[in-house]
Amino acid sequence: MRWAAVLMLVAAQGVLAGAFPGAALAEVPFTAAERTAILLHGPWPLKARPDPSNRLSGNGAAIAYGRRLFFTRALSRERRQSCASCHAPARAFTDGRAVGQGRVALDRNSPALFNLRHNRWFGWAGQTDSLWAQSIRPILDRRELALTPALLARRVTLDKGLSHGYRQVFGARPGAHTPKQVLVNVAKALAAYQETLTTGKTPFDRFRDALARNDPAGMAAYPAAAKRGLKIFVGRGRCAVCHFGPNFTNGEFHNIGIVHFVGHGKDQRVDPGRYGGVRSLRRNPYTLLGRWSDDPKRSTAGFTRRVTLHPRNWGEFRVPSLREAARTAPYMHNGSLKTLEDVVRHYSAIPEGRLHQGRGRLLKPLNLSKREIADLVAFLKTLAVR
Amino acid sequence: MRQTSFLLAAAGILAGGVTGAITTAGAVELRPIIDTHIHYSHDAWGRLPPPRAIEVLKRAGLRRAFVSSSSDEGTQKLYKLAPGLIVPVLRPYRRRGELSTWFRDKTVVDMLSRLLTKNTYAGIGEFHIFGADADLPVMREVVKLAKKHRIFLHLHGDAEAVRRVFKQDPGATILWAHSGFAGPDVIRPMLAKHKRLWADLAFRSSHASGGKADAEWKKLFLEFPDRFMVGTDTFAPERWHFVVEHANWNREWLRSMPRAVADNIAYKNAERLADWALKGKK
Repeated sequence: MRWAAVLMLVAAQGVLAGAFPGAALAEVPFTAAERTAILLHGPWPLKARPDPSNRLSGNGAAIAYGRRLFFTRALSRERRQSCASCHAPARAFTDGRAVGQGRVALDRNSPALFNLRHNRWFGWAGQTDSLWAQSIRPILDRRELALTPALLARRVTLDKGLSHGYRQVFGARPGAHTPKQVLVNVAKALAAYQETLTTGKTPFDRFRDALARNDPAGMAAYPAAAKRGLKIFVGRGRCAVCHFGPNFTNGEFHNIGIVHFVGHGKDQRVDPGRYGGVRSLRRNPYTLLGRWSDDPKRSTAGFTRRVTLHPRNWGEFRVPSLREAARTAPYMHNGSLKTLEDVVRHYSAIPEGRLHQGRGRLLKPLNLSKREIADLVAFLKTLAVR
Repeated sequence: MRQTSFLLAAAGILAGGVTGAITTAGAVELRPIIDTHIHYSHDAWGRLPPPRAIEVLKRAGLRRAFVSSSSDEGTQKLYKLAPGLIVPVLRPYRRRGELSTWFRDKTVVDMLSRLLTKNTYAGIGEFHIFGADADLPVMREVVKLAKKHRIFLHLHGDAEAVRRVFKQDPGATILWAHSGFAGPDVIRPMLAKHKRLWADLAFRSSHASGGKADAEWKKLFLEFPDRFMVGTDTFAPERWHFVVEHANWNREWLRSMPRAVADNIAYKNAERLADWALKGKK
């Protein structure tokens, strides 16, 4: 008798779900708090303001020149690699490898280059504070493109196309500038191009917008599995604490228990993560506080000014955006997790002993069921445009 | 004699990035450090075998190191190799990951009793305990064991847990791990009230940044110059690679303190605690 009543109720809910406004959520009801949390992940896309530290930001000619620079092999010592070698457009501006391959195998995963204008820090350790400074890093790194400012200036001078483009954008021959000036100019053009690599609305954004305007048809179009995953994401999974806001990142650094040894045997060492990043940042002449910034007020340099080195930074890595995550496998700073399922499983059984948390710890094993793991993955996939 | 061993040639130390004070003789005095928060758990043994682990501690210029591990086997491996360097502390965890379950596991008490009889220890810990859990039966037995063996408790928990332990045994000696991750406003009254409460500064950094002690913390250190000590907390094997760097990080901010207080925090307080706990033990 009791079961019959329950069955009738379930049947009634099914009918109601298709019949009344708001019923689109009946299959996966969200609390008021969850709705608020979901709405905080939009609207998308964000309005992108030009970067005041880069006078070329948003400049059409510089963007075109930056694009040319991005794909030329002239920026590598042996002319074998370009920026696109590790950040291939066809692979969502990644290389699909666990760790990057420069002149030697690198330590970290090559991240995607989407929506970078919204970043506060760059690289997995935040060793740079602007996109143009981050663009300098691989050019000079001996393991990657391995140029010096002088060699770069010579390459830009001798390459007809690059030299012509330089004159068009900067109003002078590369030879008229010091090698360091050429390096910074090239990096700023590269940054201007990378700022254009933005992503549009995703199925999640359309659901979120429908929720904002209370549009049942719009909400109904979002798959039930993704809704269930989203509920975990903003609810008991507490994923949204770090993967916060429209770009799904708080822009800072955390230790999530991923092993950060590099290499094997006698050559084994440790990637210090943010600890090394802060130290590099402090040594770096190309920061928002330095002479190469185009912003006389240093208006965006507040975080750089305040950054301090903390013992807890050892082993912390930057929280990546989750937008387009479905297209950017493998995952984590060292590419150690191959699939989104692996990522969710990591959090489901997170090794607490490898973390350091006090009472009320944020990260604890979620012990998700198979279906819940699949639901979270279904949700994460809706953060990609296609 | 001991001090002399820490007087090293300037070039050698500076090459290693160590921060020390330059003496009139042109040598750099490397402030001794006792690291009171080292773990050498099962997942560290393979990557960093005992001789190499000892080498790391020596390279950091440590006078001594308080070591506990999951399981205790790790501590014993190091103690056997360098008994003068290692201050053994008994952890109630057999494996990493028991930190939120151990205090409900009655078999822990038997394990601790057996090992305390068999080996030499200066303390029990580091263990995690918060709030009212400090009054659970297993924890009560641990407090009794510390009293019986006249050793300290290395307690990672909140002020409430510390208060509850002192209520069980007003004569207990507690090394408060991470100073409870509390601020000076919480720590000050605790230290004032509990004379046998000591505090380590492991895995926290609000007390110092940019090579200087924070003003509010400096006041606290000066008020209680004989109660604080430093530590790295090698809770994951990777952090063994941070021991040398962290010792230097400590040396740097300690230079902003009056010399006597800096020495106390760097090693003298820890030395007094270890000497008290190990007195009369083999």
